[in-house]
Amino acid sequence: MIDIKHLEVGYREKRKNISVFKNINLTLHAGNLIGLMGDNGIGKSTFLKTLTGNLAPLSGEIVLNSTNINNYSTQQLAQLLSIVITEKVGGFNLTVWDVVASGRTPYISIFGKLNAEDEGIVNSSLQQLNLEPLRDKLIDALSDGQRQKVMIAKSLAQQTPIIVLDEPTAFLDYTSKHLLFDTLKKLCVEQNKLIIVSSHDIDLMKQYITKSITMTAENKLEVF
Amino acid sequence: MKQSKFILTTIYLSLILVALTIGDLCFGSINLFSLETTDPLFSTILFDIRLPKTLTCILAGSGLALCGLLMQSLFRNPLAGPYVLGVSSGSSLFVAIATMLISSIQVSGFHFMGKSIVTLFSIAGAFLVTLVILIISKKNKSNITILLVGLMLGQILGAVQALIEYTSSANNLKTFVIWGMGSVGSTTLQDLFFVIPIYAIAITSSFYFIKPLNAILLNEQYAQNLGIDVNNLRLSIIIITAILVGLITAFCGPIAFVGISVPIASRLFFKTSHHLHQIVFCLIIGACVLLSADFICQLLSNQFLLPINTVTTLIGSPVVIYLLFKSKFSIG
Repeated sequence: MIDIKHLEVGYREKRKNISVFKNINLTLHAGNLIGLMGDNGIGKSTFLKTLTGNLAPLSGEIVLNSTNINNYSTQQLAQLLSIVITEKVGGFNLTVWDVVASGRTPYISIFGKLNAEDEGIVNSSLQQLNLEPLRDKLIDALSDGQRQKVMIAKSLAQQTPIIVLDEPTAFLDYTSKHLLFDTLKKLCVEQNKLIIVSSHDIDLMKQYITKSITMTAENKLEVF
Repeated sequence: MKQSKFILTTIYLSLILVALTIGDLCFGSINLFSLETTDPLFSTILFDIRLPKTLTCILAGSGLALCGLLMQSLFRNPLAGPYVLGVSSGSSLFVAIATMLISSIQVSGFHFMGKSIVTLFSIAGAFLVTLVILIISKKNKSNITILLVGLMLGQILGAVQALIEYTSSANNLKTFVIWGMGSVGSTTLQDLFFVIPIYAIAITSSFYFIKPLNAILLNEQYAQNLGIDVNNLRLSIIIITAILVGLITAFCGPIAFVGISVPIASRLFFKTSHHLHQIVFCLIIGACVLLSADFICQLLSNQFLLPINTVTTLIGSPVVIYLLFKSKFSIG
């Protein structure tokens, strides 16, 4: 599903490129829950940003369904790959429903109107994460854990075969962490999605994942 | 917000707008009803004085409120607005420069050619300032920085304008100072024929950005992942706001308060984040606010026209402060 060849990730500055991690070679298949591990600052987020098309690779290539990721339009990519990031969302009267419904953006008309089918998908995404009772609440009124769930529900509404989550367990309590990985695992098995999660909860994560990738300080990838 | 509620709210707001429009047309130092409709004075007052003024209120109020809404969503900052971020100051400075140039080459500043040059300059000024703010906002994501830069930019532009005014003739200076206080009374019907098509295009095009604007409320990275061309959205919003602010500032002077406060009030009153709703509400409320301001101006003084900025600020700001205290959650 995803083929990563000789990938170098990092940032482009005016004169020089700042390389963060080099020589990433990976093949990832659908139906897998992949755990991405590594110390702070090692380049997990940079790697994930590159993988999701938010950052351009410094060198190498990412091939998604046998097409280079650069050859997809933003719109096409939005229907293949969704993200959950750590940056908080809120304000501007945004309700739980609004945020989850935003997952339908790649599929709806320019006037932003959802049809009955879209609404059904949003509702079932809310159900899958037990967010139904909160649907009309403002995002600002939620706890961190609830916010995280809302963002995952948004990803579900986006109906992408691939979901990438950057540290989704960071703000969660013990039970919520387990519930989260339960949900992710279920999505992988039942809907054959490819889910990539970065996290520092290594022991917990290892109970659920099908494959682990560790980024080490020696610029090595350990894949198990 | 449900579809039916949205339509109902829009109808209610429109009724208020119609009432204010009629009120603004009928009310003034001369009682229209005391005149015969065949009296030439009747048509002069109605069509040459009051109608252009009322239309200007509607266009300027709705345009500025829309600009405020677009900027607040784009920067994800409820404190953004054409006046606060220095966009109006950019327009003002360029209007000052244009007026100086025109008067120095001995062309009358107030015939049609002069006005269109001033308008073009005004739009260019607004565009340049917005562009600078945008470039800075890409380098530094902090809302507070953007706001401070906007304020500083406004100060710098104001200072340059003061320099120009200092060196200008007494006549030009007077025109400037009065223009700077904001006025909706100096637009003619002929001006409006030139303004309305441009205004209509800018307003209509904003409806094409409803979906991207909704998505960018999450944040830029999410918006991009949802298939939105963020750079294209930014540029489009800048162009729309620059045209509207430039146009309005050229004809009415830098009008404060409406741009920032109407979207805030609209969000506090109508709990919706959807841009179809907010754009419609802001357009109508913006027009209502400026019409009321003009109405109050006339109520307070029959002899002379009060500067509209004084009224919008004096009456509008306390309302927003009250709303902010009343609201449970952050407005942004």
